[in-house]
Amino acid sequence: MASVTISDVSKSFGTVEVIHGLSLDIPDGKFVVLLGPSGCGKSTLLRMIAGLETATKGDIAIADTVVNTVHPKDRNIAMVFQNYALYAHMTVFDNMAFSMDLRGTPKAEMKEKVDWAASILNLTDYLDRYPRQLSGGQRQRVAMGRAIVRDPAVFLFDEPLSNLDAKLRVQMRTEIKELHQKLKTTTVYVTHDQIEAMTMADHIVIMRDGVIEQEGRPLDIYDGPDNLFVAGFIGSPGMNMLNGTVERMDGTPIVRMTDEIALPLPENAGAKDGQAVVYGIRPEHLEPRPDTGTLAATTQVVEPTGPENHVYASLGGVEVCAITRDRIEFKPEAPVRLTPDLERVHLFDADTGMVIRHG
Amino acid sequence: MEPSHASRTLRDIVAVLVVAIFMFPILWWGLNSIKPYSAIFDKDGPVYLDFEPTLDNYRVTMMGVSRVELAIQDGGGTYGAGGASSYDSRQTILDSIIVSVGSTIISVFLATLAAYALSRMAMRGKQHFIFWVLSQRFMPPIAIVIPLLFMFRDMGLRDTHFGLILAHVLINLPLAVLLLKSFFDDVPKDVDEAAMIDGATRWQSFRRVVLPMVRGGVAATAVLCFIFSWTEFMLSLYLTTSIRTLPVKITTFVTSTGTEWGFITALGTTAILPAFVFILLVQRHLVRGLTLGSLKE
Ligand SMILES: Nc1ncnc2c1ncn2[C@@H]1O[C@H](COP(=O)(O)OP(=O)(O)OP(=O)(O)O)[C@@H](O)[C@H]1O
Ligand SMILES: [Mg+2]
Repeated sequence: MASVTISDVSKSFGTVEVIHGLSLDIPDGKFVVLLGPSGCGKSTLLRMIAGLETATKGDIAIADTVVNTVHPKDRNIAMVFQNYALYAHMTVFDNMAFSMDLRGTPKAEMKEKVDWAASILNLTDYLDRYPRQLSGGQRQRVAMGRAIVRDPAVFLFDEPLSNLDAKLRVQMRTEIKELHQKLKTTTVYVTHDQIEAMTMADHIVIMRDGVIEQEGRPLDIYDGPDNLFVAGFIGSPGMNMLNGTVERMDGTPIVRMTDEIALPLPENAGAKDGQAVVYGIRPEHLEPRPDTGTLAATTQVVEPTGPENHVYASLGGVEVCAITRDRIEFKPEAPVRLTPDLERVHLFDADTGMVIRHG
Repeated sequence: MEPSHASRTLRDIVAVLVVAIFMFPILWWGLNSIKPYSAIFDKDGPVYLDFEPTLDNYRVTMMGVSRVELAIQDGGGTYGAGGASSYDSRQTILDSIIVSVGSTIISVFLATLAAYALSRMAMRGKQHFIFWVLSQRFMPPIAIVIPLLFMFRDMGLRDTHFGLILAHVLINLPLAVLLLKSFFDDVPKDVDEAAMIDGATRWQSFRRVVLPMVRGGVAATAVLCFIFSWTEFMLSLYLTTSIRTLPVKITTFVTSTGTEWGFITALGTTAILPAFVFILLVQRHLVRGLTLGSLKE
């Protein structure tokens, strides 16, 4: 086990810089998820930790030792690739035993380790099979087995679940999390799926275009996004974003969206009068009611998911989503009233996109 | 939709016909090799099966019986028209096997290493190099055979097995490299990287992971190299005199006094066998899609 420290690392491919002076501290034993849209440099960062790419600038340290020039095989890391990268000509057993074989581990110990990994991953019955004879989920587990038999200092996962179907993904998500709780090995996990990040991470790092936008515990990020990008990226259905100007109406601050629509703000809202802002409210903090409420809107689509009703409505021409757990019948194309939870309103500066914290 | 019974029958008939058309010359070849001399050339038209099979032609080409002995046994006179040239081809087959196997092994060995490097290693001007490799194959062998002859003579390689092997390697290498490179390219780089993280050196990942995954490609390349070398005529003709490979030897059966069809067909039929055995040996590796299962496809 080990911590990973990334200090001011940049990476260029030719003349194009894709990681820009990024610093990150991954404490020992933590499950850290790198989250961000496609092309933001998550894989590149992970591959630099693995030693498959070299940093153009800056230092990467594993267990407080700078490893910039250390060969991947000497970094004591294990990696699970997005497409598994199994050895097609070897059985499941040999796939998992390969790393130990290279190190000259005695046969008996090798078998013990593989059996242990196979039993954790439910692969015991498949040890003699070849990868082509396995299902996608089983192959995925072989790739994980290959990683865990090593007992590495750090696990690196690059979107290991993106090739699985939805149901299997949820199941493997839980298995990986359980595995981490059992082994407590420092883990860096790359994904662009925010649900995966939210459910698995101890610590989320949100990246965009080669820089970190925000990092923190999943719920802290969910409840307190630093900027519009993070606010929009985390959460599904996404946060409602409404443009307007801060005003005072009868002495209380509001966001004027249109002549008719005034979005209520808490007393301690930090924005200045006249400031152009984005008013952010998550769907579950926007209560829909057929008759009573603050804001008048028109329903468009209603989606009952079972536990919740998702009401998509048009508010001043902007589509918003509101969620209630109450079993109320909403009719499409009918008037609806929406009430935001004032404590849960997020305000962002419209120009910079940065959050305006309440005072 | 399942094809109807009638259309399936029709398809089978067409298939059999096509195969028959392609097989007929080979069959005729084999048939002629076991015909007595009189049945090969019959003034009343072609003889199909109405003859007494004989191994005489094989006795001459494969057992060292001279055609004069044969003529004497036959009652004299009628046996053939050719002169007294040697028809014993045992040494020829040995020469051919040495040259073909030798050049195949060297070609495949060099091509595998080169193809791996071209597929996996960064190199300045790689595209140009690949084009240059391919361009070697554009060059007609006739253009190089005379210079090669002089060089070989000066180096003492003329009329040696090794010299001919080298010449065949020269011709085989470009295609073998490019063919194998495409097989290496099919193995995802992630697999190398996974091996590297598992603790393999570059050599170990080549030897134990990537190479076994391109086994099918190596086998296919070996077959191509072997067949080329086995049937190559011009270089063998110019670069050797006492060593005779099969294609060259067979041409000597066309003599100033006549063409020995019986011996030609006998040797030709024999020549198919080693090639056949070789292909049989490697064909179990000729499975496609060996990388199957390495990835989620
Ligand atoms: N070998 C390379 N050569 C040149 N550019 C590269 C190379 N690898 C990655 N890039 C570029 O670096 C940027 C980051 O790529 P990276 O693979 O890290 O993205 P990612 O966040 O993992 O995206 P995804 O979610 O699609 O996997 C991209 O713009 C990509 O085009
Ligand atoms: Mg990626």
